[in-house]
This record gives sequence, structure tokens and C-alpha cells, in this order.
Amino acid sequence: MKKTFNDIFITCMAIALCLALGKLIFSMVGGLPASLYGMILLNIFLALGVFKPERLKGTITWCINNMGVCFVPAGVGIINYFDLVTKFGIEILFIICSTTLLLISLVGLLAEKYISNKDIKR
Amino acid sequence: MITLLSSLFFIVLTIGIYQIFVWVQAKFSAIWLNPMLFSIVAIVPVLLWQDINFEQYYDYTYTLSALLEPAVVALGFPLYQHLQTVKNHWKSYLAILSLGAIIVIIVSFIMTIAMVNLPELAVSLSYKSVTTPIGIALTDTNGGISSITAFAIIIAGLFGAILGPSWLQFIGVKSNSAIGLAIGAGSHALGTATITKYSFEQGAFSSLALIISAVMTAIIGPFLMTFLLSNITI
Repeated sequence: MKKTFNDIFITCMAIALCLALGKLIFSMVGGLPASLYGMILLNIFLALGVFKPERLKGTITWCINNMGVCFVPAGVGIINYFDLVTKFGIEILFIICSTTLLLISLVGLLAEKYISNKDIKR
Repeated sequence: MITLLSSLFFIVLTIGIYQIFVWVQAKFSAIWLNPMLFSIVAIVPVLLWQDINFEQYYDYTYTLSALLEPAVVALGFPLYQHLQTVKNHWKSYLAILSLGAIIVIIVSFIMTIAMVNLPELAVSLSYKSVTTPIGIALTDTNGGISSITAFAIIIAGLFGAILGPSWLQFIGVKSNSAIGLAIGAGSHALGTATITKYSFEQGAFSSLALIISAVMTAIIGPFLMTFLLSNITI
């Protein structure tokens, strides 16, 4: 129980530290959103062994499984764009579905040609 | 005091509704019963009925939205895990997924400008192939409409998760690695969750593609989008 609590605390501190450094980098160079610098930093710290992956795993898995609820308020903002959605709904749907199909086909065919053969040879 | 209570009320309401739909989805195990989508659809009428505008609701539930930033940072963990597994031919993965990310942004942007001609909508629809926290962050960076992005991401996810595997079969993509990468690139977490049920190997490749595509889109996207916004107009 105590160990679990410690792991949760360490994970929160690790994420807070990466996010703070990400904000610092963003304020200096701009470019990507601060949280993305934070994400890349977390990856680097894990690779360098600064944070122990096994201590972060449980808490982060829980966060990722439950993070969907954090996007609900942003999604509710659609309420302000009703006229846009009713006016261009069909076009929007068509663009989303056709480009998704394009992306899936492109990546699927390229991967089939250049990656799966290598896998078989190995 | 009233603000604090309202805040608490709307946060609990949002989490409660979300949890109900998580339960419903688990009970019927149907991919289209997406908890995020149905929570939004359930909350909108409540706000309209109580005459609460979106800005008020957003202020009350700001704690939830503020968690978006640490959520993106947390994705550094699966990124680390997957980078360990693809040490061998990471160049091919990176090349294919970056190419896919660039092409989907350009095509979505040009299609939206050609059909609707609203730049902010074009930004929102161009960032629909990545996982939600990153899509929303990028849309905000380029002045798009994040709620449209949130919706577009769910639709792209459901579309690819439901139709993707049979379509890939149809066009002759048969290896587990290729199917997984394609679904992960186009339909992010929703697609990954769906195919993992049928094949664990496909699921692993799918989550790999989801995280690499998101990172590549995040790195290339803002610059590409600035270029498109200033050069593609009717």
C-alpha cells in the first residue's frame, strides 16, 4: 500500500517536472506546445535511467486508460458550432472518412511492401 | 462559494456521465458506444436545458481540461516502451509514418479549403488522425477549433476501427505488422483497442504507429500548417 502510494507520488512528480521543463523550453524557443516537449523529456529521462519505468508503469497506465474524460469539456464546445456542423456536416464527414481511408491504405500498402518482408526474412 | 459548488457539481456530473458510458460500452462491448462521444452528446442537452453557455461550463470544469497537459506528458511512457521494441528497423517505420502524417495533413487541408473554404476548419480536420490530447494541443497552436478536432478524431477512429481491417484485406494488406501500423496511423487509440481484441500482434504494431504518428505530426505539423495557411487560399 505504502509502495503504491510512493509510486503514484513519484509519477506525479516526474510528470510535473517534465511539464515544468517543457514550459521553460517553450518560453525560450516556442515551436511545439509545451506539453509535447514534456512528453519527449519524459521519454529521454526514462531512456537515460533517471526515472525507473517499473515505478511509473502502474500509475501511467491508469492515467492513459482514464484520460478520455478530460477531453469531454473540450468536445462539448461543439455547442458553439452548431450552425457550422448543420451547414457543412456532410462535407466534414466526407473529408474525415476519405482522408482516413487514404492514410490507412497508404501506410498499409507501404508497410506491407517494405516492412513485413523484412520481418519474414528475419 | 457558489462558483466552487457549481464547479464541483459539473465536474462530478461530467465524470459520472462518462463512467456510465464506460460501463455501457463494457457491458455491450461495442466499439461505436464510445464513452467520450456519448458523454458529449448527453451533456450538450443538459446545458441547453439549463441555459448554461459553453464558456461557463468550460470554466466550471476547467480542472478536467487542465489535465490535458500532464496527459500528453504521460504519453512519453508508451513512446519509451515502443522505441525499445523497434530499435532494428526504426528508419522504415519513421519514414512510412511521417510520410503518412504529412500527406494526410496536406490532403485534408486542401480538401477542406476547396469544399468549405474555412481555414480554421481546415486546421481542425487536418489534425484528426492523432490521439486526442495531441490533436487538441496542435489545433490550439494553429488557431483551429479544438471541439471540432475532438469530434473529428472520434469519427476517424470509429471509421477506421470498424471498416479498416476488412478494407486492408480487400486491397491486399495481409501481414500483421502492416495491418497494425495502418490502423494505428489512421485510427489511433480507438482502432488500436479494436484490433487488439482480434490479434495481440496487430495491436502492438498499432499502438506503436499511434505513438510515432502522433510525435511526427506534432513535430512536423505546426510548421507545415503555418506554410499551408499562408499559401493555400482560394
